[in-house]
Amino acid sequence: MIDPSVVRPEIALDDFLPIFVSSALVLVFGGIYVGIYTAVKVKLLKPWTMVIAYGFWMLTAYCLYLMGSLMHVGEFTAKALVVAAIGLFLLPFAVYYMQNQVHEENEH
Amino acid sequence: MANNHLTSESKQLATWYFTFAAILFGAQLLFGLVAAIQYVMPGFLYEILDFSIARILHINALVVWMVFAMFGSVYWLLPDETGIETIGIKIGKLIYWVFVAAIVVVVLVYLLVQVGPADATTIWFITEGREYIEAPRWADWGIVVVALTFVANLFLTGIKGKQTGIVTVLMADMIAFAGLYLAGMFFTDNISVDQYWWWWVIHLWVEATWEVFVGAIAAYGLITMIGAHRKVVEMWLWIEVAMLFGSGILGLGHHYFWIGTPEYWWEIGALFSALEPLPLVAMFVHVLYDWGKTQGGEEARGSSASVIKNKPAFTWFVLNAFGNFLGAGIWGFFHTLPQVNLYTHGSQFTSAHGHLAFFGAYATILIGMMYIAVQGTNGIKIMKHTKASIWGVSMVTGGVVGMTVALTIAGYVQVLVSRAQMGATWAAYFDGQSGSWFTQAMDWRLILGAVTFSGFLLLAKDLLTTGKSPVHER
Amino acid sequence: MANKSVWSDNRFWQRSATWVTGFASVLLIWLTFDTSVQIAMGNDEDLKNGVTKRVPGPTVINYKITYEMDAKRGHEVPVIGEKENFFGRDDWSEEEAGALLHLGKLGSQAKNCMDCHTLLGNGAYYAPDLTKAWLDPAWGPNGAMQALTAKETKEEAMAEFLQHPDRYPTHARMMPDLGITAKEAKGLVAFLKHMSSIDTNGFPRNFGHMQGAINGK
Repeated sequence: MIDPSVVRPEIALDDFLPIFVSSALVLVFGGIYVGIYTAVKVKLLKPWTMVIAYGFWMLTAYCLYLMGSLMHVGEFTAKALVVAAIGLFLLPFAVYYMQNQVHEENEH
Repeated sequence: MANNHLTSESKQLATWYFTFAAILFGAQLLFGLVAAIQYVMPGFLYEILDFSIARILHINALVVWMVFAMFGSVYWLLPDETGIETIGIKIGKLIYWVFVAAIVVVVLVYLLVQVGPADATTIWFITEGREYIEAPRWADWGIVVVALTFVANLFLTGIKGKQTGIVTVLMADMIAFAGLYLAGMFFTDNISVDQYWWWWVIHLWVEATWEVFVGAIAAYGLITMIGAHRKVVEMWLWIEVAMLFGSGILGLGHHYFWIGTPEYWWEIGALFSALEPLPLVAMFVHVLYDWGKTQGGEEARGSSASVIKNKPAFTWFVLNAFGNFLGAGIWGFFHTLPQVNLYTHGSQFTSAHGHLAFFGAYATILIGMMYIAVQGTNGIKIMKHTKASIWGVSMVTGGVVGMTVALTIAGYVQVLVSRAQMGATWAAYFDGQSGSWFTQAMDWRLILGAVTFSGFLLLAKDLLTTGKSPVHER
Repeated sequence: MANKSVWSDNRFWQRSATWVTGFASVLLIWLTFDTSVQIAMGNDEDLKNGVTKRVPGPTVINYKITYEMDAKRGHEVPVIGEKENFFGRDDWSEEEAGALLHLGKLGSQAKNCMDCHTLLGNGAYYAPDLTKAWLDPAWGPNGAMQALTAKETKEEAMAEFLQHPDRYPTHARMMPDLGITAKEAKGLVAFLKHMSSIDTNGFPRNFGHMQGAINGK
């Protein structure tokens, strides 16, 4: 017979698919955010599209939240996920700033 | 080599390394196909070439062809970077033949002897039985000697010649790469200790030192192929080293969730795994940025000509940026946190991730280096795509991505049925393997594996013949 | 011409890379010392005195092992219980048990187990995970394998299967005959029993608890 105290997994059966999909989307949306940001900055896209970039970052943050809550992460991991979300937000700023700085110095 | 465009012996040796790497790449795919057939038809070659042997050859050929292509890449770029001929190249060439001979012997023993009695002679002469580094102990020592010679070539040349940023990074990276192999060369009765150190080799190779190697090669590629500015590229390389080692070294923690090691590895593994994709995203942006800027600069000067001096190689380099992000990033991240890894650990998810990550992060850029070598060997100024190169890259990439999707579906079924619902026993395992979604996924994996292999044949044909093709500008 | 900023200074980043790498490495080495102590194999004294080790000593084969939910840790842990016969004896000495485990571990490598099975979840995915194979109800008194192999005990059934896997197919995917001798099979079973006693932080979850076998009974 099945002992009810051990049979319930921490993750509900129906939650596995949303977890996998949302955690994959974290990086997909994150990648799109970073991509649009850079494209706008190097003038491949019109400036107003930057709004879309930030929209994608919000989707990323939401997916991280969804993923974290569905898998019942502990306090520490939750903090790590917030740090990752902020890190991803700042990443393209930092990368672009540094790239540009070096270009300015070397090619003008 | 029959060609006289190569004045450097180091580059000549590089082409030897690339040639044997390509042969092993073919062998890897061939034994992968055997293993894929066995998933679909379990009786195939039963007790002749069992799954375990096919898989050993599949993954060992993978590791060794990549090491060969990595050595080849270094011998290729050394004269360009340092401005001098590689020091001790004669010994380097001799060691190449020792390496090749040792590998042929190891492969023949895998194929013909396969297993041995449970004693030390098996470990020394037949197989060490530890995934990825099954090579028997005598071959381990051989590899140490070969690696030391290679590192000596690199160091002596780097010290005497011009020591660029790329060479400095490679020197530091390759000594770590060679040194880490030692962590996999001992026997212990304690399987937790065994796997603890085994991961030092596997993880710190593929998620730290190899990634940094790729960063260095990408830097070299951007400079030679699109004339990117060295200072920009090298500064970026140092940032990448900081990000990759900063997240990758302690990312080791995500392998220490379930092997008997303490629970604090959950937190360490989760934190650094969450950070590991960041450098991959950054690398991806960097390649596009550099390309956009260089092309933009060219266009500002009124030239609409492409800045890309080697189209096929550049295609593979761009695929590398994508593939690294997709295979190592996305496919790694979605099953890495301990809460979900408890169910996905050791399932076909791992296999899906392994296929796309090894291909995306390493195979792509190393094939790109092979194209750069073909260009240099044949004295081609601007190298273009041929029909075979386009079909080759499309079929290989499409095949691997398709296999990855199939394995991901299989992994999902396995996680749900065998793990979450049935509790991971022997019976649970086979219930999960028998569902129609799982078996169909395995059918598709085989079909797409065959596509990959056909793509490889085209790729090999192209690498052998494109040098003489009239489409290129000389 | 922009001013030279520290962010675009090559040397700054070279130093940063060195420091970050050095710091991560030192941290890893420090953690390795701590972990090494915690995963060192226990001994017979620990088992006699009820000292819990993450990796118990080889004489754990003299004891009954179960896999039970630990409310405090929130996952299952192996529990070492009363004495239990292993191949007819429950008094394997430290040397004898150690030799058996040594033989089994060597055998697991010499036969390339990891290239079909997973051990502690690592290896290939062509055959079942062996981490807690010793606790699999299929080998227990109510499971199919003892009847199939015509053996009275779990360990004898496992040893018989390992010597002649092609005689006892459980799936179209059959284990090949790897030339495992009777002695090696005994060692391998000891290795499997020992592995099931390792504290794997609750992996695999719910092992064997869905088939009507609670707490390994």
